[in-house]
Amino acid sequence: MKRLLVLLLLVASPAWAHDAPYSFLNLRFAPGGTTGILTAHVADLAHELPSVAPESLLAPSRASALAPRLFALLASRLAIVGDGDTLRLSFVSAAPDSERNGIAFTFAAAGPPLPSEVSIEARLFPYDPQHETYVNAYVVDSLRNQDLVDARHPRVAFTTGAAPSFWTVVRRFVAAGVHHIFIGPDHILFVIGLLLLGGSLGRLLKIVTGFTVAHSITLALATLGLVTAPARVIEPLIALSIVFIGIDNLRALRRGAGAPDRRAWLAFLFGFVHGFGFASVLREFGLPSQALGVALFAFNVGVEIGQATIVLATAPLIAWVRSASSSAGRRVAFAGSLVVGVAGLFWFAQRTFGL
Amino acid sequence: MYRFCLLALLVISAPASAHEYWLSTNTWRCVPGDSVVVRAMVGTGFRGELKPYTPKRVVRFTFEGTRSLDLLPVGVNGESVWARVTPADALGAVVCYESNGTFIELPPAEFDRYLALEGLAAPLAARARLGASAPPGRELYRRSCKAWIRGSDAARITRAYGLPLELVPDVDPCSSTRVGMRVLYEGKPLAGALVRAWRRPASAAESDSIGPSSSARTDASGRVTLSLSGEGRWLVSTVHMVRSPDPKLADWQSTWASLTFRR
Repeated sequence: MKRLLVLLLLVASPAWAHDAPYSFLNLRFAPGGTTGILTAHVADLAHELPSVAPESLLAPSRASALAPRLFALLASRLAIVGDGDTLRLSFVSAAPDSERNGIAFTFAAAGPPLPSEVSIEARLFPYDPQHETYVNAYVVDSLRNQDLVDARHPRVAFTTGAAPSFWTVVRRFVAAGVHHIFIGPDHILFVIGLLLLGGSLGRLLKIVTGFTVAHSITLALATLGLVTAPARVIEPLIALSIVFIGIDNLRALRRGAGAPDRRAWLAFLFGFVHGFGFASVLREFGLPSQALGVALFAFNVGVEIGQATIVLATAPLIAWVRSASSSAGRRVAFAGSLVVGVAGLFWFAQRTFGL
Repeated sequence: MYRFCLLALLVISAPASAHEYWLSTNTWRCVPGDSVVVRAMVGTGFRGELKPYTPKRVVRFTFEGTRSLDLLPVGVNGESVWARVTPADALGAVVCYESNGTFIELPPAEFDRYLALEGLAAPLAARARLGASAPPGRELYRRSCKAWIRGSDAARITRAYGLPLELVPDVDPCSSTRVGMRVLYEGKPLAGALVRAWRRPASAAESDSIGPSSSARTDASGRVTLSLSGEGRWLVSTVHMVRSPDPKLADWQSTWASLTFRR
């Protein structure tokens, strides 16, 4: 039986002629620009070229002749992004790599010369789900990152240690601020709740300004580590602020036109609480220590842009309804305030009792 | 005849994936001051290709000699040389490697063929109970390898090093033709494991596929005795598969142990 097994293994051995499919990506980031060497196994490359024998690619003349075409194919399956910009890869040269049974493609990558943040996505040989690409990133001559990408984990991201440019920080953190407002229904409902009762442009500006000033103060203090507040306290408080706005609106509606409008003060007061919430999100983004002030400012700008968008979309609509029919305006304000209050209650219960 | 046909079918139609995984060194004698170059191979039938190093896969990579040296930071991602290390004494050393889990998914029939080929009776039986509804094989596999750099102190190879699946010989496997071994899974004896040994004679080319020269299953106390006659490099291996501890990641978790040495 053992002899039989030996025989069968010998017979079957060609089935494993190319068991271990790998490619290798070495990137070098330097102030003068980014360069790289991508080495791919001839068996994988030949798979892309019908009627080409894998071993024939190890001949320098054959490798040189087919290299630009092969590189174009590989480059279309490789995305290197530096500080948000996709680097443009251009072929420089190619040579057989006998140790790795492959072709080594040298290329230049045009983009930010020394990006701070890099992500690489590679699906070089989609036909093979087991294919692995070993990624090494050097900053000048120092090995900064070692990683492995495959079909299940095709993307890696790392920082080079270089200081991010001003515009990179601004772009990233403005986007983060806007994003946070739009993915957070609690902030959106809080702002909408403040607008439901309508009012003149001057009054709305006061409300929005009060909220902005207050949350900017606590956002800055918490981000700089001068004041701390635990999320388990802040998050339920944010929910309660929404409940409060809903209830205050309903009370104002019941009292009628003569009721004092406290919304600017409420926005200012609760703005301090919301600022702590923004700060916890900002910390999760990983603040660049070299550009803390810029990141803080940019995030705040992003929050304001998000907030202004909500105001600009909501306030004219409410004003139009109120001008068309005051009773319709009251009904909209009543129903909206009810929704705001109930949503706030739900979030409070969820954040306090983990429902 | 039936067994012949079945086995032939199993082997020839086996998945075109590499099974065995072993450590290889440039020298198999522990000499103080010499440079021991450590590589890893992956393949079948003791015919393999170099496996590049990656710290992403390493749980443990040590050189167990006079003291335990952590080799994890030594290697460079993608390099075929995993480490270069210099023994401090001539008593012998063991290179230990343990990887984290890598996911693979195989179609049902292919997965069953692979289980049969590797003698993994329990998972095969569990899948057979599901009949035609057996799902694709979703598996996390990990490696648990040792290489013995022979020295004068057999105790360095006869002790366990705490790998998840480990072949622990009773004697220096270079010095005896019948070698008893313990198979330990998570530190405990593993019964019913199929243990196979391959010998590569000095004359055999790296590209030659070698069939196992000895195989046996462990007894109830996790022990097995193999006949290891002949010079050359030896690979002893076994695999154990259990239900995956995290069903979201995979249905099965296999651990592949190997022990390499030269007589």
